[in-house]
Amino acid sequence: MWHEGRCLVVGAFSTSLEDSLKTQRSGDITGGCFLVFLGLVTLFAASKITGGLEERLPPRTLPYAVGVIILICGALLAIRSWRFHGIDPVIKWPDRRGTIRVLITLASLGVYLALMDPLGLPLSTFLYVSFTVWYLGKYRLWYPLLIGVLSGGISYLVFIYLLELSFPVGPFLTR
Amino acid sequence: MLFSWDYLLNGFVTAFSLQNLLWAFIGCMIGTLIGVLPGIGPSSGIAILLPLTAVLPPTSAIIMMAAIYYGAMYGGSTTAILVNIPGEASSVPTAMDGYEMAKQGRAGPALGIAAISSFVAGTLGIVGLTFFAPALANFALAFGPPEYFSLMFMGLTLIISLSGRALLKGIVSMAIGLLASLIGQNPLTGAARLTFGSVELMAGINFISVIIGLFAIAEIMVDVEEEVKAINMTEVRDVFPTWADIKQCVGAMLRSTGIGFFMGLLPGCAPSVTTFVAYDVEKRLSKHPERFGKGAIEGVAAPEGANNATSSAGFVPLFSFGLPTAPSMAVLLGGLMMYGLQPGPMLFKENPHFVWAVIASMYIGNVMCLVLNLPLVGMWARIAVIPFPVLGPIIVVCSLIGTYSIRFLAFDVWVAIIFGVIGYFMRKLGYPIAPMVLATVLAQMLETSLQQSLLISQGSPLVFITRPISAVFIGLAILSLVRGVWKQMKSHAPEIAEEDES
Repeated sequence: MWHEGRCLVVGAFSTSLEDSLKTQRSGDITGGCFLVFLGLVTLFAASKITGGLEERLPPRTLPYAVGVIILICGALLAIRSWRFHGIDPVIKWPDRRGTIRVLITLASLGVYLALMDPLGLPLSTFLYVSFTVWYLGKYRLWYPLLIGVLSGGISYLVFIYLLELSFPVGPFLTR
Repeated sequence: MLFSWDYLLNGFVTAFSLQNLLWAFIGCMIGTLIGVLPGIGPSSGIAILLPLTAVLPPTSAIIMMAAIYYGAMYGGSTTAILVNIPGEASSVPTAMDGYEMAKQGRAGPALGIAAISSFVAGTLGIVGLTFFAPALANFALAFGPPEYFSLMFMGLTLIISLSGRALLKGIVSMAIGLLASLIGQNPLTGAARLTFGSVELMAGINFISVIIGLFAIAEIMVDVEEEVKAINMTEVRDVFPTWADIKQCVGAMLRSTGIGFFMGLLPGCAPSVTTFVAYDVEKRLSKHPERFGKGAIEGVAAPEGANNATSSAGFVPLFSFGLPTAPSMAVLLGGLMMYGLQPGPMLFKENPHFVWAVIASMYIGNVMCLVLNLPLVGMWARIAVIPFPVLGPIIVVCSLIGTYSIRFLAFDVWVAIIFGVIGYFMRKLGYPIAPMVLATVLAQMLETSLQQSLLISQGSPLVFITRPISAVFIGLAILSLVRGVWKQMKSHAPEIAEEDES
C-alpha cells in the first residue's frame, strides 16, 4: 500500500511537472516562479557576505542587485505569461526514449570525468568514446572500439607526450 | 612609435626569410586548429606552446605566437558555423547566423565569407597599426575606469538586440551570467562571495566553462534527444560565396573593421566583446534586421571582421606601452619579456628590426591564413555530415579537454556539464543564450571599473556623467534600453528567443 501510495505521489508529481512545462505559457509561469525563488536565494546568500563593508562598493552590492533583477524579472515573466491568452506553442520535450538517451549521455559524461583521475586521460577517453559511439550508433563492437583506441591514443600523444600538459596519465602509462 | 619605410621594408626582408615564413605558417596552422577546438582559446594555446618556442630566435618565436593568435581568430568560426559550437567566446555571434546558413545548405559561403572578412579586417587593422599607432595609442590613454564602466554597461545593453522578442528572458539570462561571474572572490577586496564555504567555488567560475556548457554540451544533448544521424544533414549546396554575397558584405566588413580596431585599442576590450558590438551595429543598420539570426550573411561577416581587427589593434598598446588588451596579449607580453624585450616606447628605439619584422610578418600571416582556410572550405563544410554517433563524442572529448586545460581543475568540467543542462533547458523554454555569454565575459571588467571609478570619485556616481566620453556611452546605453523596453511593452507576443523560433 505504501508502494502504491509512493507511485501515486511520484506519478502525480511527474504529471504536474509535465503539465507545468507542457506549453510555452505554462513553462514561462513555472520558470518565472523558479526565478523568484532563485532571486530570493541569491538575496539570502548575498546577505551572508561579510567583509569589505567599508568599501565604496561593498562586495555584497552586486549580488544584491543581481538578486533583485532576477526576482523582479521572474515575477514579471510569471505574471505576464499568466495574463497572456494568445497562441500558446507546445514545447517539444523528448519522449521516454529520448529522455533515457539524454540521461545516459549525461551519466556517461559524469563517469568519464570521475574516471579521468584514477585511470588517466587516455584510458578514460577510450572507454567513454567507445561506449558512447556504440550506444548512440548501435554499431558492431569493433568499430566503436577502434574509434575509442584512436581517440585515446591521440589524446595521449598530443596532450601528454608532445605538449606535456598536466593531464592525469593513469596507472598503466608514463609521460 | 617611429614609422619609417626603411624599417618596414627591412621588416619584410626579415619576415620573408625561409625560417620565419615556416614558423609563421606553423603558427597559422596551429592557431587555426586551436580556434576550431572548443575550449582551447588563443591564450591557452600560446601559453601551452610558449616553452616550445624557447629554442627559436626571439623574432621567429614572436612571429609564430602572433600567428597563433590571429590564426585562432580564423579557426573559431569553423565549428561555430558547422555545428553551432563556437570555438571561443568571440565566435558566439558568428554561430547565430552562420549555423542558420549551414542549415540552409550554405555552410561553404558562410565559411568563405568568414575567411574573407577576417582577411580584409585583419589586413586593414595591420595597416592601422603600421601608420597610425602613435595617435591611436593616445586615444586609448583617454580611457579611465569611468569610461570602461560606461562602455561595458553599454555593452550589456546589447542584450536588447540579442534577446529579440524575449527581452525579459534576455535580462534574466544576463543576470544569471552575472550571478555566475560573481561567485568566488571579489576582484579588489578578495572577499568570498556566494561560495557557501566551498573551496572549489572560491576559484570562481571560468567563462570558458560556461560557454562550452551552454553551446557544446547543450547542443550534444539536443542532438542525442532527437537521434540525429548527422549534426547537419542539409546537403552542402555551394562551396564558396558568390560575388553578390561578397558585395553584400563589403559594408559590414568595413564597419566591423572600424569597430573592432578602435575598440581593440582599449585594454579589456577583447574580441569576445567587439564581435557582439559589431553584430549589433550591423543588425541595427540593416534594412532588414529581421533576417539576423536566420542566416544573414552580414551576421557572419561583421563579427569575423571585428575579431580580426581587434587582434591587430591589440598590438598597438602592447608595443607602444607594454599594455596587454586581452589575456592572449598578456601571454604574448610574457613571451616578449622571456626574450629580454621590454615592450614600450624604448622597444622601437632599441629593437626596431624586431618590431617591424613582427608587423611585416602579420601581413604575410594574414595571407597565409586566407590561403589555408579558403581552399579547405569544402572539406570543413563536410565535417558536419560525419555521423553524429562518431562526431558527437569526439566534440565532447575535445570540449572537455579544452575546459580542463584552463586551470587543470575537474571542477571546471563539472561546471561545463551543469551549464550544459542549464543551456538545454534554456533552449527548450525559449531563453536566449547569447546574453548570458556576454554577461560572463563583461562581468569582471564591469565590477572592477565600477569600484575603481567610485574610488577615484570618492563614492560619487556623477563621475560617469561629468566625464564626456563616459556620458556619451551612458546616454547611448539608456536610449537603447528605453527603446527596447518600449518596443517590448507594445508587443503582446509570447517571449520566445528568436534562435528558437525555427
